Amino acid sequence: MAEKASKIFQAFREHSVAEFFKKNRQMLGYSGKIRSLTTIVHEYVTNSLDACEEAGILPDITVEIEQLGPDHYRVTVEDNGPGIPKSHVGKVFGKMLAGTKFHRFIQQRGQQGIGAAGCTMYAQITTGKPVRVVTSTGNGMIYECSVMIDVKRNEPVITDEKEYPGTMRGTRVIGEFKGVKYVKSEYGPYEYLRRTAIANPHAKIVFRDPEGARHVWERAVDALPAIPKPSKPHPYGLTAHDLLEYASMSKARSLKSFFVQTFDRVSAAKVKELEELTGIDFNRKPDSLTWEEAATIIDAIKKIKFLAPSTKNLYPIGQEQIEKAILNVLKPEFHSVVTRPPSVYRGGVPFIVEAGIAFGGEAGRKVDSSRKMEIMRFANRAPLLFDSGACVITKVVNEIDWKRYGLKDAENMPVTIVVNITSTYIPYTSAGKQAISDEEEIHKEIKLALQEVARKTSIHISRKIKAKEKSEKKKTLLKYIPEIADALQKLVGANKQEVEKKLLEIVEKKYKEWEAGEETSENGEKELEKLEEMAVKEDLENGSIGE
Amino acid sequence: MGSRSEERRREVLRRLEELGKTVLEQIKEGKSPHIDIPVRSLSNIEFDEEKMMLKLGSKVAKRSFLNVAHTRKFMQTLLVAAFAKELVEQNLHTSLRDMYYALKRTIPGTKENTFEEQTESDAVVVDIEVAKDILREEMHLNADVRGRVVGDVTIIDRGDEVDWSKLGSGGWAIPSNVEDIEFKEVNADYILVVEKNAAFERMHEDKFWKKENMILITTQGQAARGVRRLIHRLAFEHNLPVIVFTDADAYGWYIYSVIKWGSMNLAHVSDKLGTPQAKYVGLTISDIDKYHLENYTIKAKDVDIKRAKELLNYPWFQKKEWQRELQLMIKKGYKAELEALSSRGLRFMTQTYLPEKIENKEFLP
Repeated sequence: MAEKASKIFQAFREHSVAEFFKKNRQMLGYSGKIRSLTTIVHEYVTNSLDACEEAGILPDITVEIEQLGPDHYRVTVEDNGPGIPKSHVGKVFGKMLAGTKFHRFIQQRGQQGIGAAGCTMYAQITTGKPVRVVTSTGNGMIYECSVMIDVKRNEPVITDEKEYPGTMRGTRVIGEFKGVKYVKSEYGPYEYLRRTAIANPHAKIVFRDPEGARHVWERAVDALPAIPKPSKPHPYGLTAHDLLEYASMSKARSLKSFFVQTFDRVSAAKVKELEELTGIDFNRKPDSLTWEEAATIIDAIKKIKFLAPSTKNLYPIGQEQIEKAILNVLKPEFHSVVTRPPSVYRGGVPFIVEAGIAFGGEAGRKVDSSRKMEIMRFANRAPLLFDSGACVITKVVNEIDWKRYGLKDAENMPVTIVVNITSTYIPYTSAGKQAISDEEEIHKEIKLALQEVARKTSIHISRKIKAKEKSEKKKTLLKYIPEIADALQKLVGANKQEVEKKLLEIVEKKYKEWEAGEETSENGEKELEKLEEMAVKEDLENGSIGE
Repeated sequence: MGSRSEERRREVLRRLEELGKTVLEQIKEGKSPHIDIPVRSLSNIEFDEEKMMLKLGSKVAKRSFLNVAHTRKFMQTLLVAAFAKELVEQNLHTSLRDMYYALKRTIPGTKENTFEEQTESDAVVVDIEVAKDILREEMHLNADVRGRVVGDVTIIDRGDEVDWSKLGSGGWAIPSNVEDIEFKEVNADYILVVEKNAAFERMHEDKFWKKENMILITTQGQAARGVRRLIHRLAFEHNLPVIVFTDADAYGWYIYSVIKWGSMNLAHVSDKLGTPQAKYVGLTISDIDKYHLENYTIKAKDVDIKRAKELLNYPWFQKKEWQRELQLMIKKGYKAELEALSSRGLRFMTQTYLPEKIENKEFLP
């Protein structure tokens, strides 16, 4: 945390932080009552997970949401992380755009929003109240305070400080928010946390919802994920917003040296190309960069060929971890998971696709008493809940011919599909960062991954479905027996009981034949042939034959 | 009730029971029970050139208990057979609708009814007719009442003597079931069947049937089963020629076609309902020229032309006279109703048109 507090964005110098917040509400995740609440939970939970992982602690996170009135809630998030030193509390919760994430380029969870300070801002705007923070580094002293933001100066205002001895390690933050709404739909905090549990099997998550119900997602893996190594950001992954952020923090003398020092694969020759394309003077000081200029530079970057970034710094969740998470959270009857090898898109941005499919158990989206197919999308382990229609993951899921894999009516089956994209730069469709854009290479990798997991489960699925069909067939036959026996009694004076008994025997015999028939085809060559056929069809579709 | 019908009644009972016995034997042997039912779809309807009738082909479908696609219908078939057996045994008659209500109930332990719609039970009745070669009426299941008759005929209907010449302006309403009617006295040279009630009333008013010594029947649109069966029985039992008189359009001609050759829906009972010796007197498109009725025609709609084109392709409309008529209609693009003849005077139909055509045997085959 070496950056100087005095350096504020050039672009926002004339504006207050409050105005910046209002103007950028949408892209910061605060659009709509439902989404705003999910964003708040996301910001706090992400901070907690990051803090724990960096400190080498297996995360225990508790989230509580209480309803105080219409569209009025209190959110409490507590972790067992390293705690925040007293001197840093203000910066974390009371200073916008001053987080720890911006001084290095790293594969990050959310990338959206503006962290815990954004939540403070939202609480302040909607209720006029500060957030309360309780934290301890485990040194026997607990520190408590209330944090607000001085919107004119973008500085924290700390009140009601308390310090007392106690045994605790971690941080608890309590905020009151209006203009938010709790729903138990696929857009709400419950679903956000359920999905977070899938992508973070090393975390234990407890959630108390506004109705008082307690949900627990136990830890499924006792090992911390590898911590992504910081690396210089590659220019292809930058947004104008990021660029301004870096520029504001840079100590370089000129934009030229700022570019060469800060970013990966940027040489003096490349800066010269940028200068020519944009007409901007790169000898100026980095913090003199305006929003408009940053946007122009980002456009120019897309037109220049840079060397591809290395794939070294990608850390997928891992096949085994996802598998454990799926078993833990969804308790499916069967499942399969794949982690694809790294690939690159846009001529240089590395990424890895992971996919899983779970069938039965608690898989699928609960609709009344039945379950339907659900798609869980993740970018760098962070769940994407909104804009699903615009996302390449949804698109590819809909393209898959599920019938081929034994899912006759996939939409209405208890199926959960998990797709995680890991990349140092996730290509979102919009500033909202909730949908991944349809890059050709990403599209193809997702498809290959889904086809692979679908193929692996298809035998289980078709066996299971056939068994169900059989028992339903049997039920159909059985229910008509009394009517038939009754009619035969009237028609030819047959003995009703005797007819019923005989018909029952006929049905049982047939049912056994069906079951026996299944056994033989299972062990036979048929299934294998079917699988091979599938693979050939997939290859044809993906154009990998004749290439 | 005469011995003819009593004998038939016993035969009907025997056939219904036979259906049940076959099933019961299969069950006792531990086999999957099934009922053989001739296929009634278009693919199995043929035109018998020799008998001049539509009839069912030889395709038979197995309605099997163990085939879940058939199980429900299998159950329904037995339910209807048992119901019909009780009706015939107790000599009660009822309508298809009544039967539907009598048999409809919830199957225990399910939310399913034995019959959800009347169309289901209606279809099963036809299945049994086909499978066991018995008429619906013989199972004491009656249909719509439509059609009327006048003429010098005396019948016995449920013990009552009815004289068709003494029933005033309305004539005798033909019941749906004419199986048990006995013809006591029949004085007629032929039968004239008219499609329209208005034409029937006009002719009846003029006592045209008396003058011509014929039996006059109106079908009131497409001929109901009772009317067709009555025409059939009169024609066969009393050896009477049958002359049909309808509008000059595809619908009128199809009414004639059904009376003569049978219908596609009931192809399985053509030999009981069809009257192949029937002849068509009019109205024809050629008549419009001959009797100067051009100004009284109606422009044919698209559906009329479409229907006429369909008739053109039916095997039983392949006679050159009919091909010519149909093509003429399509070419001219008009049709005509019986009422067009009234443009030549109210009595033109009974005094000129029909007597002339019948005298000169100007018929279409």
